[in-house]
Amino acid sequence: MTAPTRRAAIIDGRRTPFLKAGTGLADLDVLALGTIAVREVLAHAEMDGQEVDEIVIGNVSRPVRYHNLAREIGLATLPRTVPAFTVGLACASACQAVTSAADSIERGYAGAVIAGGVESLSNVPIQYSDRLARAVVGASQGKTVRAKLENLAGVRMSDLAPVAPGIRETSTGLTMGQSAELMAKANGISRTAQDELALRSHQNAIAARDACRTSAEVVPVYRPDGRAITADTHPRPDTSLARLAALPPIFDNRHGTITAGNSSPLTDGAAALLLMAESHARTLGYRPRAVIRSYAYAAVDPGDQLLLAPAYAVPVALQRAGLSLSDIGLIEMHEAFAAQVLSTTQALASREFAQRELGQDEAVGEIDPAHLNVNGGSIALGHPFGATGARVLMQLVNEMERRDEQFGLATVCAAGGLGCAVILERV
Amino acid sequence: MTIDVPTPAAAETGVRLQIDGQTAVLILDQPGSTVNVINPAFIRGLEEAVRALPGSGATGVLIRSAKEGQFVAGADLTQIAPAPDTEEVARLARRFQRVLSRLAALPMTSVAVINGPALGGGLELALACDYRVAAETVTAIGLPEVSLGLLPAGGGTQRLPRLIGLSRALSLILEGQRLSARRAKRVGIVDEVVHPRDLDEAARSRLTRPKVRGPVPQSHLDRLAAHSALVRSVIYRQAARTVRARTKGHYPAPLRALDTVRAGLEQGFGAGLAAEAAAFGELAGTSHAHALISLFLAAEGLKREQRGETRPVQRVGVIGAGFMGAGIAQAGAVAGLDVRLRDTSPERVARGLKSARDLTLSAARNGRFTRPEAAAILSRLSGAADNSGMRRADLVIEAVFEDAALKRQVIAELEEILSPEAVIASNTSSLPIASLAEGARHPERILGMHFFSPVHKMPLLEIVRAPATSDDTVRAALQVGRRMGKTMIVVRDGPSFYTTRVLGFMLQEAGRIVEDGTPIADVDRAAISFGFPTGPLALIDEVGLDVAAHVSATLAAAFGYRFPRSASVDRMVAAGRLGRKSGRGFYDYSGRRKRPDPTLETGHGRPLPADLIAPRLALIFVNEAVRCLDEGIIASPRDGDVGAVLGTGFPPFLGGPFRHADALGPATVVEELRRMTDADGPQYEPADALVAMARRGRSFYGGAA
Repeated sequence: MTAPTRRAAIIDGRRTPFLKAGTGLADLDVLALGTIAVREVLAHAEMDGQEVDEIVIGNVSRPVRYHNLAREIGLATLPRTVPAFTVGLACASACQAVTSAADSIERGYAGAVIAGGVESLSNVPIQYSDRLARAVVGASQGKTVRAKLENLAGVRMSDLAPVAPGIRETSTGLTMGQSAELMAKANGISRTAQDELALRSHQNAIAARDACRTSAEVVPVYRPDGRAITADTHPRPDTSLARLAALPPIFDNRHGTITAGNSSPLTDGAAALLLMAESHARTLGYRPRAVIRSYAYAAVDPGDQLLLAPAYAVPVALQRAGLSLSDIGLIEMHEAFAAQVLSTTQALASREFAQRELGQDEAVGEIDPAHLNVNGGSIALGHPFGATGARVLMQLVNEMERRDEQFGLATVCAAGGLGCAVILERV
Repeated sequence: MTIDVPTPAAAETGVRLQIDGQTAVLILDQPGSTVNVINPAFIRGLEEAVRALPGSGATGVLIRSAKEGQFVAGADLTQIAPAPDTEEVARLARRFQRVLSRLAALPMTSVAVINGPALGGGLELALACDYRVAAETVTAIGLPEVSLGLLPAGGGTQRLPRLIGLSRALSLILEGQRLSARRAKRVGIVDEVVHPRDLDEAARSRLTRPKVRGPVPQSHLDRLAAHSALVRSVIYRQAARTVRARTKGHYPAPLRALDTVRAGLEQGFGAGLAAEAAAFGELAGTSHAHALISLFLAAEGLKREQRGETRPVQRVGVIGAGFMGAGIAQAGAVAGLDVRLRDTSPERVARGLKSARDLTLSAARNGRFTRPEAAAILSRLSGAADNSGMRRADLVIEAVFEDAALKRQVIAELEEILSPEAVIASNTSSLPIASLAEGARHPERILGMHFFSPVHKMPLLEIVRAPATSDDTVRAALQVGRRMGKTMIVVRDGPSFYTTRVLGFMLQEAGRIVEDGTPIADVDRAAISFGFPTGPLALIDEVGLDVAAHVSATLAAAFGYRFPRSASVDRMVAAGRLGRKSGRGFYDYSGRRKRPDPTLETGHGRPLPADLIAPRLALIFVNEAVRCLDEGIIASPRDGDVGAVLGTGFPPFLGGPFRHADALGPATVVEELRRMTDADGPQYEPADALVAMARRGRSFYGGAA
């Protein structure tokens, strides 16, 4: 593998505080939140929008009027001449935004790109039945009153009720939580192990906040009503193993182990990174902090272990980087569920998994918990689907600097059996 | 084929007539100017063209301007300004009325093609046409004459009520509103609004329509009014009451305009026109109109002089997210600048951004911006509790608390992070800029930008140039002020500059008059009936006694015996009586209405007779303004008048302190001030320049007094 001659470097990254859906950020939609993250990363980088060549935004759910959300955010923050596109890769959408940005830069098509993601689960568009949707569109196309009425004639009373939004796999019919239950059972992940991981996530997040490490990436949101939201609200200083153990399982109330305490909550928030060609950044006086050394995407059968794809992506990314897991000093792994994190680390450490699934003799490697999600993960911080990939990467860069680590790995699993691994290298 | 119809003086008048088959085009193209204005030559040109039309074979006529983005901007005010011959002015108005009546009566369909501002006589010309088509880019359609102390005298008071209905027309005529093309369409003035490129086609397609169009009042009230004399009389009475409340009897023009509208609707079109021309002649002869027009021309003159190229200013920082800082930030975002608002805590920033946001959204609700425009304004505005986003600012305005040490510290911090070319402006109302720039590494990029509160409403910006301030710095500040739509005066640095200084002397005197035994309410009432918008003591309460005390300390330190500081304001501050914000000042604000505080009224001493209060305050104002001119704080009487009227509320119909001095006569002013000196002390000594002017028998605006 030859390294690209032009490397894509992360210059800065900022995010809004992450808040549980339906709370303090509920009045701000994806455009408002995304605009804040992008504007602030530009402000903190002291970059003029004129120097930006492209904006890529990851997002899962949004109102129809923002069909190209990245463009709306770009119009609010950048010169009108900057191309924009929106990407969707479920929970790994912002990873896709960042790797697309890196591709544009490495190809020499762009010197500076904004890549990020946003989610407002407080403002999920409510849908109606397919039959009602077809009838309304048909009626609006009808040329005569009669034609319009004919289209509406087939609608039943039951079609008028909104369809509750759910996170259900189309191909399997299972919810995300049910799939996580299956993984916990298949891999023998105990409830205690899950709760311990959740507790560590909260403790790490609180410690990071108390030591002001979070302030390197979190910017205040100034709400329209004159209040400032300055910090994540989900990390709990008062949680304990006993409290976590007391929570009931939510997806399998008889034999289940997945609880609200060891899963990530529905969250509102936005995050954005500024990437530049390393040389371009130096010429303009910006400090490249880490380059995208390699990345990989993988997919598994959604009916099998839905959230295990990162275990397949990591060895590929390592191989593309010419590194082994032992070279990596710091890891950020998105915590959809504690069971998914533990399943993934277990698979990576398993020789049997390596031989059966990866066709290689040796296990990918052990992950030292002291190097994993050291400032908290999605269980504590929250998980705004579209934004998490960017959050994970900015947290990784900042901590790699603090610890003076050369290499870092970020992984994000996603609905549809997808997964992403990105390796950063400090420069 | 297009034929130019030769009219005797087309070249001089700028009104040309072209015939293309059945279509006539009347082209307005005043020679040697980028705009069309109505003057005697223009009227003659119209007369000749309208005379030539019936024999031209045309069945329709377009009235169109040849100026890019300019229709007809109104009357040539320079023709009216210098003490006019009332009869001559009325005669000219009657000629304009007659030619418009002839245009309206032509046996062909006429269409006004409005490609730019149609104001005053320009709109009246369009109203005399059968149809009006406007480009969607047009922002100024209206009859603003009353704001100049005049009234529409080309049939505007007659045709507009008949076209759009009485109540709508009155609000336009009596308030002098300017409408965008879209709003003009909504009220019924304009028939169609189109893209500029479709303007010609849209206008031509109307030429084949029938000539006469019935009036189409847009509101229910106006439909009723059209048929009921009773409804009309109620509307007249209500309008008169509103005008009186607003003008407090100082401005005759709106009431005269109301009379002419009424004369026309109740006694016929002809009677209305006659009343219009007569009233116009009379108003044009008043000192009111003279003052208002000269202020308007002065402001236009300032704008012209302040034009000029500078390096681009796009990113603006505002330090301090209080009411003032938030107002400045909002004005900047409205002006298209990218604004970063900084304060010391996220909570303060959030409050500042909220108030800027509320201002913008309420302006959007009032139709000043569309919703997408409001969203774009808000997206240019961001805040921070740190220096992020500030380092690359082109210009930073500090609006922190009025404290020299604090401001110096802010300036020092800014010098640390900004590029050496970035301009640093202090929004101070009284602290000398040179003292704030002390110790600065680059004093040449420091100046004062004194905004007035509330920023979005107050039209003036006082730009303060310190001795070290560079031309480039001044130009950058002028550019920002211009984009915000401010009228600006550039003043020299000094204690409290110009506006705060003259106002400070006057307010100080008001406080003294109260101390000497005149009731608070009497002083304020006298000032208001003199023409000030607010009484001086109520104004101190609004500004805050702490702020007032601060300014008077500055003035007392600078001017010694000339500014004998009264102890009462300091006592009130010490007692926590800070004015409206603390619930008590000169007035008590605890009730539904403010009440003067009797404990502040000594009840003895020698109360000043009511009719002497305001003239005395005005004299103090004039005397200090002359000193500012003499010291070079202001560059000219014109700047002093504009600044006083727009910045301190000096009665506009008096034209400003210098025009007021001219009207009284410098000799009289000197004599009065000397009497006050003899009676009350040396602080009233007339300014040397005033004495010299009186001795030479001169006046500030030239000519013998």
